[in-house]
Amino acid sequence: MLASDLFELRKTLVRSGVMFAYSGYMTEQVRLAVGETLRQKLSMEDANTKTIRSVFAVFVEQMQNVIRYSAEKVPEEQIEDTSELSFGVLTIGKEGGDYVLLSGNLIRREDVERVSAKLNEIQGMDHDQLKRHYKLKLKEGPDEFSRGAGIGFIEIARRASRPIEFDFTDVDERHSFFALKANI
Amino acid sequence: MDPLKITATANTPEVNFDFPANIFSLKGESHPEDVTEFYQPIMRALEAYLGDLGDGACTFDFEFIYFNSSSAKVVMTLMEMLDEAAAEEASILVRWIYDPEDDNMLELGEEFGEDLEHAKFELLAQEET
Repeated sequence: MLASDLFELRKTLVRSGVMFAYSGYMTEQVRLAVGETLRQKLSMEDANTKTIRSVFAVFVEQMQNVIRYSAEKVPEEQIEDTSELSFGVLTIGKEGGDYVLLSGNLIRREDVERVSAKLNEIQGMDHDQLKRHYKLKLKEGPDEFSRGAGIGFIEIARRASRPIEFDFTDVDERHSFFALKANI
Repeated sequence: MDPLKITATANTPEVNFDFPANIFSLKGESHPEDVTEFYQPIMRALEAYLGDLGDGACTFDFEFIYFNSSSAKVVMTLMEMLDEAAAEEASILVRWIYDPEDDNMLELGEEFGEDLEHAKFELLAQEET
């Protein structure tokens, strides 16, 4: 049972084209290590320089987004402490000729509307609009060292080869699960 | 001021601020865990140098192969600091050196460079090695 259950899970992932799958606590150490392995794998597949860097860039923004904003953390309610751990899911795979990156994490239900509005706005933009939006947001950032200033989503959309997709599903009274998909 | 040199790591660029020679460069990748921790000392040093530059001249090379969105804010702030010094009396040359195989970096160079009103700006393709 042990092997067959785990093999089933692996088969399900492989069948949907997944090369990397991570579900658990995400840290900068995990991000750096997986990021390097991802780049190695992409070079072995002879992906071109621009594609490798774009997949890597989206990966970095998605991981950092989970690390910074996941509402599922241990210890709970400990803000601005680098020792906290954030829970999230991330997969990287192939879909046709595209690389596909999916990330997910819990967010507070009261934040759904704000995040959704931000993503809706970005989703409707073409490349030139995204470029202008990126610079505008960089300029109006609250200070030079904000944690992310909302630029991460724009960076993901700029690197993606088609409009980003996102979705939310409520999981309990306080939380909703947020999923974000980018094709490159 | 003594030169400020920091060796590149997997997620931070090589920093080479040669104050006596008036030559500055950031080279490599930038996606540090904590942008403030990495860049604040560097920016303070540059600020002090620019404050004393007067009508002197300096060259600042940005040679990134990749930077994340939090680092983008720093790049923009550095450009603003350089442009402000150039708006006074200093002669400042900003060079954006990009990998010709990745036009994302060329595009970002164009975007950041177009805001420079007083500093001279050049976009250069990295030499093939």
